[in-house]
Amino acid sequence: MIKSIQAKINGILLRVEEGTTILEAARRVQIKIPTLCKHPDLPASAACGICIVKNKGSSKMLRSCCTPLEEGMDITTHDPEIVEIRRTVIELILSNHPNDCLKCARNNDCELQKLTADFGIKEESFPQFLKDLPMDQSTKAVDLDPKKCILCGRCVHVCQENQDVWALSFLERGIKTRISPAGDIQLADSPCVKCGQCAAHCPTGAFVEQDDTVKVWRALQDVDKYCVVQIAPAVRVSIGEAFGYTGKNFTKKLYALLRRLGFQAVFDTSFGADVTIMEEASEFEQRLLKETRPLPLITSCCPSWVDFMEKFYTDMIDHFSSCKSPHEILGVLSKTYYAQKNKIDPASIFMASVMPCTSKKYEISRNEEMFSSGYQDIDAVLCTRELVRMIKQAGIDFENLPDEESDSILGEYAGAGVIFGATGGVMEAAIRTAHYFITGKELKKVEFEGVRGIKGVKETEVDVAGKKIKIAVAHGLGNVEYILNKVRDAKINNKEMPYHFIEVMACPGGCVGGGGQPYMVTDELRIKRAQAIYQDDSNKQIRCSHQNPYIKRLYKEFLGKPLGEKSEELLHTHYKARPIYTR
Amino acid sequence: MYEKTILIKDTDTKREDLTRQAYTQILDFLRHNDQHSRIQVVRVADIGLYDKGLVIKILPEQITYANVKEDDLKRIADAISFNKGRVEDLVYKPKSKQERLVLKNCGRIDPESIDDYIACGGYLGLKQAIELKEDKVIEEIKTSGIRGRGGAGYPTWMKWNFAREVASDQKFVICNADEGDPGAYMDRSILEGDPHAVLEGLIIAAFAVGASKGYFYVRAEYPLAVERINKAIKQAYDCGLLGQNILGSSFGLDLEIRLGAGAFVCGEETALISSIEGKRGTPHPRPPYPSVKGLWGKPTVINNVETLANIPQILLKGGAWFAKIGTATSKGTKVFAVTGKVKNSGLVEIAMGATLREIVMDICGGTLTGKPIKAVQTGGPSGGVIPEHLLDTPVDYENLQKLGSIMGSGGMIVMDDDDCMVDIPKFYLGFCVEESCGKCSPCRIGGFQMLGYLKKITEGAGNINDIAQLKRISYAMQKASLCGLGQTASNPVLSTLKYFEKEYIEHIENKHCPAGKCSHLVTYSVIEEKCKRCGLCFTNCPVSAITGDKEKGYSVIQEKCIKCGKCFEVCKFRAINKK
Amino acid sequence: MVRLTPESLDKISKEPCDKPANWIKVGMSSCGIAAGADEVFNFLSEEVKKRNLNVEVKKCGCQGNCYAEPLVEVSIEGLPSVTYGRVNRDIANKIIEKHVIGKMLVNDCIYNTVD
Repeated sequence: MIKSIQAKINGILLRVEEGTTILEAARRVQIKIPTLCKHPDLPASAACGICIVKNKGSSKMLRSCCTPLEEGMDITTHDPEIVEIRRTVIELILSNHPNDCLKCARNNDCELQKLTADFGIKEESFPQFLKDLPMDQSTKAVDLDPKKCILCGRCVHVCQENQDVWALSFLERGIKTRISPAGDIQLADSPCVKCGQCAAHCPTGAFVEQDDTVKVWRALQDVDKYCVVQIAPAVRVSIGEAFGYTGKNFTKKLYALLRRLGFQAVFDTSFGADVTIMEEASEFEQRLLKETRPLPLITSCCPSWVDFMEKFYTDMIDHFSSCKSPHEILGVLSKTYYAQKNKIDPASIFMASVMPCTSKKYEISRNEEMFSSGYQDIDAVLCTRELVRMIKQAGIDFENLPDEESDSILGEYAGAGVIFGATGGVMEAAIRTAHYFITGKELKKVEFEGVRGIKGVKETEVDVAGKKIKIAVAHGLGNVEYILNKVRDAKINNKEMPYHFIEVMACPGGCVGGGGQPYMVTDELRIKRAQAIYQDDSNKQIRCSHQNPYIKRLYKEFLGKPLGEKSEELLHTHYKARPIYTR
Repeated sequence: MYEKTILIKDTDTKREDLTRQAYTQILDFLRHNDQHSRIQVVRVADIGLYDKGLVIKILPEQITYANVKEDDLKRIADAISFNKGRVEDLVYKPKSKQERLVLKNCGRIDPESIDDYIACGGYLGLKQAIELKEDKVIEEIKTSGIRGRGGAGYPTWMKWNFAREVASDQKFVICNADEGDPGAYMDRSILEGDPHAVLEGLIIAAFAVGASKGYFYVRAEYPLAVERINKAIKQAYDCGLLGQNILGSSFGLDLEIRLGAGAFVCGEETALISSIEGKRGTPHPRPPYPSVKGLWGKPTVINNVETLANIPQILLKGGAWFAKIGTATSKGTKVFAVTGKVKNSGLVEIAMGATLREIVMDICGGTLTGKPIKAVQTGGPSGGVIPEHLLDTPVDYENLQKLGSIMGSGGMIVMDDDDCMVDIPKFYLGFCVEESCGKCSPCRIGGFQMLGYLKKITEGAGNINDIAQLKRISYAMQKASLCGLGQTASNPVLSTLKYFEKEYIEHIENKHCPAGKCSHLVTYSVIEEKCKRCGLCFTNCPVSAITGDKEKGYSVIQEKCIKCGKCFEVCKFRAINKK
Repeated sequence: MVRLTPESLDKISKEPCDKPANWIKVGMSSCGIAAGADEVFNFLSEEVKKRNLNVEVKKCGCQGNCYAEPLVEVSIEGLPSVTYGRVNRDIANKIIEKHVIGKMLVNDCIYNTVD
């Protein structure tokens, strides 16, 4: 039983559970204490000093983001003295921050800018001095501009504690403090897996996704290019947030939008997901029944997870599904299957994709197998935030567009394809089809609650023809260690494998919580976005990938059979051990 | 063997030294009266009194005569030779004396010998603590009223009690030996001179709190202290005073040394804990306080070296004994490291409540240079200046705070007219900016901006609005910084502004430094009367701003002078005026 | 070293503290060593050995009069215990010859007397 305590905030009496911070308690009585370094998704670092408040009877000021409200406290959140100190602190931060808002990627969407505007700060009271630090654009996915960094510490926390990647750390001290990989190396040489969680949590323009909008605009304006596009599952349920809608599914409007932008064919990554399931479920069937390769089978559709594995868990290479991601699969199919069927010269095809992810920007040139069509399978990746900017640039009234359909040849998907966007979705989709492949029977109930939800590690069992299939699902790379340690332990001690099938998504929540998604993500938002995805699935007539008529047609006309020669050539990839630091 | 000894020293610095004269006169008298083989006369270098004229001390009776005139010498010699008692009208009673409690063994025992320490009553405090049991031990500490000597002055018993009350499978004690204040070396001397006292205090703390593991966090810049603590810990293990079943009880403690790595901020409790955990040494928000949730999330008691060195005697002689010393709110003694423009710089241990004047003048001999004392700086980079007219303030935690300074860890720096009250805060602020961990914006950026303003002012580019800006940033740093470093970094500035704002104005409006310290704002000129026309200044001036020759003499062309100070440096006759 | 018990501690504490009767203590903390106390300590130890004197030369911590380092405290039976300051080789020699052997305090070098 959690004790409750009573206290006053701005004269208002309230009762909250013991341990509630002053910041949270204030919100319950409609008081918004200004913050800067605090992100609702992360624990407080107490760095900026803007959330300070007074407690009657004490001369000290408290940081409301991390101080629990205590019995009998009498808090003042706003008075001339407190506001003046907050202003001074903001002005101090601004004196060490570049003044080029107008040219910054975060213009109009920056937390520091908003705070400055809210406080009505119109002067530079203190002498301006900027950090003399170069940008790091080495990852080709996420750009770091240390000049704009306000040292809030969110990126370091996310990278170290949540993602367990440790690509970022604080270097030096005092006024010379900066964010960089340990050893002062470039991000591309560091453990960085390009997941973009840093960019998703950054309050300013210090960490920003690499901008590919210009590339896409140019292609759209190039008369010699045949532009096609695919959208990922997670994008449809989050793009509405830029227009004030949370958890709303904008699939059909997105199709309409992309055509208005000038794309000549609009596909859906969920279709690629269906293909992935066909291949991967077959893989699983083979490993389970014919023991061609070892179990557990580990999903491979997340490029950050692949990068992480190649760097830190090279002993798992054999367990990885050789299947490419739905993203890449759709890319290669568009320049082969689609091009052939519609008699389009694949050299002229420009394939763009809209992803919730920054890692996909790295994936498209990961190795030469991303060029299996004979050309770069995917030419440009836009993340959700970039598409929002393009919508505004194009002057389209997005939320009121009429609904349209996709180009069904590579756009019509089963429910199993769209649930890839949520953690556990790949696993659930795979079971639906694997069950059919192994037993020949369709499942009566296709929903698996055991793999859904935002618990970091989900372990459950599924009955397939009397055999108990043990499954593990992890999201957020910090949760990987637990699962893989169990696997390693079983290997060393010759014990039975703890799992048959493992799904890992690098981002917390799965792709809905991706590094390229709209800002200010919280678990609440992740759940809402996932719910909308599962709703999309339940609304579908066709729930399983193998039932999708367009999938059947693809295999009949083009691929032959799953894991066949054509599939191996176009849809599968290899992994390379690139160890960095031992684990 | 001599029955008596007469010590002589003339402590009047303003006239010629009469020590030898008095010595000869007394010796003559003794020889004349055939007393010279039973009474020894010695000239001493220092007799412990200052500015009290000719001083004579008689041993073994411990009689001191001051302001002795030539005519008095015969009376004194007579009284000593023929056992005529004391010459009452000349007897001098020294007012306050040092009370060496913490430092009682420093300078007496061999710090590398546990036998020496035990022979002088060592580890009896620990024995007493184990007999009393944990609750009674904390009671004694509470009765004593001892407050943390690291600077914050938090009641020690409360810290121990909080930790004791939390149920936990593991508790820690840490000795904070990361003494970082510039000019403070009390902790170093205690660790080098009497490491076992600190060790005993730490073991008692661990016992009272229920800790089974402890750390000494020592700054790496104290290699001798580290060596001696190492030896002490090893000796304690060998004697069964560490490890399991200490002194036959069920209590056990393991101790380890951890070295600092050059970060002043790691003297702050939560940053220190981070450092021991192997993380970046930055402070963390409190609550939770270390006593409740500290090292690796367990209850942790962190105490300063001097605090711990007091503990054994409190246990041995009782808390009530300790509470009799000092003032109502600040009990016991404090060790001060008195340095700067003072004659006798060194460590002074005195009961709380002694005045600054007593410490600086009576014990430390007053001004070094003969120039009057301008102010005394206390508390290191977190403290402020106390101007001369307030030196009669009794020293305790509350009084110093009221004056705009703090007790701090005990550093006391004496300043005279040659010390600039804008340059001093610039130095301290520069230190804080260098040592800031960089985590919170108010300290990281605020300190840097304040330093910028001070640099401007000392270089002659200040404007009157700068003072308002300094105050504004100071206030924000005080209220919004995450830890004590940022919260107190502006104290030297605010304190000098409070008492010496005129000097700031002088720098800003007249572009002049009254102390002659700020090199950009001093005027160099040739003092004709002293000038020997050697021409050294002329040949050494890097910008040929000195004109003249060996016949007519030399002078400085002010417009060309870049105020580098080279002429002042090379002149052998002190003929360059720098003001 | 022997493992201590409460009883053995008690016993030791009842014995007199400052023994032997004749000793010389040299302040050997960082302040003393920085001023040259190392050499003074070595010189005194060697001289005592060379001249076969019944004096124990020990090192001790900082006495507090740091401005007058190196500090040497001398206690010889029959003479008051005094502390000499700013001791160099020359003065150390005088301490041996005048104070220890000659049983007379050295002029102009005393900084403190022990009460």
